[in-house]
Amino acid sequence: MEDQELVARALAGDARSFTTLVRRHERSLYATAYAITRSQWDAADAVQDALAEAYVKLGSLRDPARFGAWVSRIVINTCNTVLRRRGRVLPMEEPPEPQAFVWDGPEDGIDLMRAIQTLSPDHREVIALRYFRDLKVADIAEVLGTPAGTVKSRINRALAALQAALGRTEQEVSR
Amino acid sequence: MNCSDVRDALESYIADDLTDAESARLATHLTECDECAAEYEHTREVVSRLTGLADAFVPRERYVPRPAYVPRPAGGWGWRIAAIAASVIAILAVGAMSVPAIARQLPLPVAREIDALESQNDSLRERVDELTVRLETIGGAEVAIVDTAEGDLSAEENSAVQLLAMAFIRAQYAGDLDALAGMGTDRLRADLATHPDDYLRAQGADVVFAQMTEAVLAEDGTYLVFVRLSDSVEWTDSQYQENFEIKRVGDRYLVDFMGMDA
Repeated sequence: MEDQELVARALAGDARSFTTLVRRHERSLYATAYAITRSQWDAADAVQDALAEAYVKLGSLRDPARFGAWVSRIVINTCNTVLRRRGRVLPMEEPPEPQAFVWDGPEDGIDLMRAIQTLSPDHREVIALRYFRDLKVADIAEVLGTPAGTVKSRINRALAALQAALGRTEQEVSR
Repeated sequence: MNCSDVRDALESYIADDLTDAESARLATHLTECDECAAEYEHTREVVSRLTGLADAFVPRERYVPRPAYVPRPAGGWGWRIAAIAASVIAILAVGAMSVPAIARQLPLPVAREIDALESQNDSLRERVDELTVRLETIGGAEVAIVDTAEGDLSAEENSAVQLLAMAFIRAQYAGDLDALAGMGTDRLRADLATHPDDYLRAQGADVVFAQMTEAVLAEDGTYLVFVRLSDSVEWTDSQYQENFEIKRVGDRYLVDFMGMDA
């Protein structure tokens, strides 16, 4: 079933359809929040807050087919809120192993995620929206309120920076 | 197309976001320029590693929306009350101090509504105080049973309804859609056929039945039973709830509706 139809059902009062939407998007939303906040715990908070907000505000989504982009925007906002809040409290140290999530992927994926975490905030954000949330450049431009041309060049620079970061990690490993 | 244009468009080329003509021009350039071809290979590799990476993240904390649809109890029974007891008590605690002050400033009908809500809260709290929980072995599992103080169901009816709910949950964890359909009414079977994913739980996980209500018979002849549970895969740190509406059809009990709740 398309997102669009699930949104319509959820709006008609079927909470299970919203749960289906959540299950469909939660992994990539979590990955996005983790890339942005660089904290497993903050990512969990940001995603919970975002989904609760999405559930309440679902009626304000004008084009149900664009649920994916819409909920991405909400996650970016809740991540920013979490990051502002974090400025006032001592962050919990990141454990070397996943604790707030279960890693259900290839081993080298964790290394790739670590390399992403070394990038600048702007670069982590576009990488997450483009490859985790699988958004088109035009959608990312809308989510970030940034011209499409800027998004495009930011993605290119982010990929170059990521390749460089991966190169560094591989050199460290071979040393 | 020069090298700089090609570098700028590589990502779009890999994502197949270019027009056919642009793609063709870029592909031609790659056959002619070794440096751009190498750059293409590097970018393609990192993009392919990134694609699908997000699926590897399984958050431990799963969001479950509060359902808009809540089964209506026939009389006063305890489980829903127990579930909201904490919030009710919190409201009361705040209410005791602040409501009269606020009420004085509010138009009369609103103040009256607050009065009515307060007395409802009081009666809810009395019911929470009346609740008792006892440990029983049902369907081979030790489960805390919440006494709903209805008392009008025979032990036979009660355990038939509870056992059906447990068997249903076990089939959800076994991924056995046929068994689920066999335990359901036409209404449930129709919903199961259109949204099977809503019924399936983490396959093969160990289930822990934490609490279950006694079955309650609603005025319309529907039995209600609520089960709180956790499992060894998805719900390791918290419990969730399955709410069952069960109907008696001939001499069989069948699940008419199952809703998930946080």
